[in-house]
Amino acid sequence: MEAILETIDLTKYFPIQRGINPFSKVKKFVRAVDGVSITIWKGTTLAVVGESGCGKTTLARTIALLTKPTSGDIIFNGKSIVNGKTDPRQVYRDLQIVFQDPESSLDPNIKIGDSIGEPLYGLMGWSKEAVTRAIQKSLTVVGLPQDIANRLPGQLSGGQKQRVAIARAIGPQPKLVILDEPTSALDASVQAQILALLLELQKEFSLSYMLITHNIAVAEYLSDFMEVMYSGDAVEYGPTEEIMAKPRHPYTIALISSAPIANPWKRNLLQVDIRGEVPSAINPPPGCKFHPRCPYAESICSQQNPKLREISPGHFVACHFVDKTG
Amino acid sequence: MPWRPDELSAFLTVQDLSICYDSTAGKVTALDNVSIGIQENELLAVVGESGCGKSTLALALIGLLPVPPARILNGTIEFKGIDLVRLKPTEMRGYRGTQIAMIFQEPLSSLNPVYKVGDQIAEAITIKRMREDGHTQVDTDFMQKAHRVVPPKASKLPRTRRRMTADLREKTIASLKLVRIPDPDQVIDRYPFELSGGMRQRVMIAMALSQEPSLLIADEPTTALDVTTQAQVLKLMKELMDKVKTSVLLITHDLAVACQVADRVAVMYAGDIVETADVYDLFSKPLHPYTQGLLSCLPTGSKRKITLKPIPGSVPDLRSQMIGCKYATRCPYVMSICTEKKPRLLSVQKNHESACYLHGETNGSHTGNN
Repeated sequence: MEAILETIDLTKYFPIQRGINPFSKVKKFVRAVDGVSITIWKGTTLAVVGESGCGKTTLARTIALLTKPTSGDIIFNGKSIVNGKTDPRQVYRDLQIVFQDPESSLDPNIKIGDSIGEPLYGLMGWSKEAVTRAIQKSLTVVGLPQDIANRLPGQLSGGQKQRVAIARAIGPQPKLVILDEPTSALDASVQAQILALLLELQKEFSLSYMLITHNIAVAEYLSDFMEVMYSGDAVEYGPTEEIMAKPRHPYTIALISSAPIANPWKRNLLQVDIRGEVPSAINPPPGCKFHPRCPYAESICSQQNPKLREISPGHFVACHFVDKTG
Repeated sequence: MPWRPDELSAFLTVQDLSICYDSTAGKVTALDNVSIGIQENELLAVVGESGCGKSTLALALIGLLPVPPARILNGTIEFKGIDLVRLKPTEMRGYRGTQIAMIFQEPLSSLNPVYKVGDQIAEAITIKRMREDGHTQVDTDFMQKAHRVVPPKASKLPRTRRRMTADLREKTIASLKLVRIPDPDQVIDRYPFELSGGMRQRVMIAMALSQEPSLLIADEPTTALDVTTQAQVLKLMKELMDKVKTSVLLITHDLAVACQVADRVAVMYAGDIVETADVYDLFSKPLHPYTQGLLSCLPTGSKRKITLKPIPGSVPDLRSQMIGCKYATRCPYVMSICTEKKPRLLSVQKNHESACYLHGETNGSHTGNN
């Protein structure tokens, strides 16, 4: 398999200023992404799952060159894209994002057709006829009627708006689409429509997806590989089916068993035994960031942050006591 | 009367409740002749998509409907023999918060940001204490007295420096302990913004349960929380429910959450209750086509194993006057009668009601129908 995207030890720290003095020395950082290496294979979906504040959205934004990484490298399509080594316009063409909230990612004063057409003029430099044809095609592909092109976002339902956002993303024929919580603002029946559409598009245009989500069920459904993040660290990576069937990192175990499942005979939620809450990313606990909540924690966990280790082919876990969880 | 819930044990009965909102764009029917009963020590989950009227139902029960634009067109809410719809706002105060308590989706906006959480819980405890001391009428005077949770001498101090009596402080700490907040004696002196989302929601639960209400309404209590926190809060709610002997009405859009904690589930669609059943029955053999559709929308495995079957179309516009079943335009089993007459919620099996012509009226089981 060929990799479409690889990150090598990617970090993103946000400096925080104390007080309002703009000249004060920057002392602290929010470690949003703290050394994450991921690989997305061509034509597959990688799900990045984790709770709010774990850095999954920052990871996506860094990969899409919306913020500069603090250190580390991003290799997209065989070329490094950080520090201007590749023309960013080329990157924007091949890598598109669908944001969580279609409400705020569509300009309320611009007609739907123009929203979809804009990247085609700007990034692709197509002629007017070509763009008009492309808009029509995009709308058909995402299952929207043609007359929607002349409407404003305010006249559309949430599901329709998310379809427009998808149509806009696939317009420039990207190789990789980052889906940042594509369905979390939507109702269950609309979510199912969007998930079905995403699968269809992936097959038709052989797209690779990077799915950012906190919803385990959505991640399990859509993805081939899964990366679990906790407080800026990648704690487990592997094939989705293997992780869902046999999670090995204590946090992954807690996360999967906290996700409610629609089966009243399997009431996992009431059996969950997890203490505490996600730590602050400014002062994370020393060593393994999960150790204050971990049932397996011992003294080494508070001293040394475990590295990702391969425990079976393609399945990586960052835990000192991975043998105990098996 | 088309249908009566299990009269014997239901202590709160909603009968034919219709509520509309007047807007400039027309009358929006949020609830359309809804009937439902809640039994003692039961967790009833009301599930449905956004705009189906589930929050309107919750607000109507606790008397917090914004009137206007909301209007109660008809129906009764019978609670311990009293019709809550007919109560005056001042009379309703005797029930709201004390007998029927509510926790909201966003705990930060339901807690007062300028008071310490301890003071806010202490206020609730004081109100309960005063009621037990024989204050039956809740009026402004009563409320003012209740706010004096501090010794008279200290009340000259600025608000931030007043202290509670030792015994009240103890009670407050005990109620924080009940909801398993770590270090309650420190948390009591913190402001809401200093707490995490999960802790805030626990404070809300502590405050609501300090009144020992007979009914706790939880409107999307965990939607703003992370999954691991959600699991903790739901587990806590379920445990406290047995401890405090209260019934819970859980409003949620998440079928899986309802499935995990509920005893009974009511499914709402466009202002109607379309199906109510025991949680096991609902998820194993759903009767109403909407419930069936909703369940087949849930991703419950890998894309290799299951194919989602989305419901075609979208929710109808609640401003339009609809004759017949509101789901008819999206229903795969639609018949001619469906567009002519609205199906009623009828008992199909024991503890299983459905509003659909596929069963119910056609097989003649008009249980409880006069």
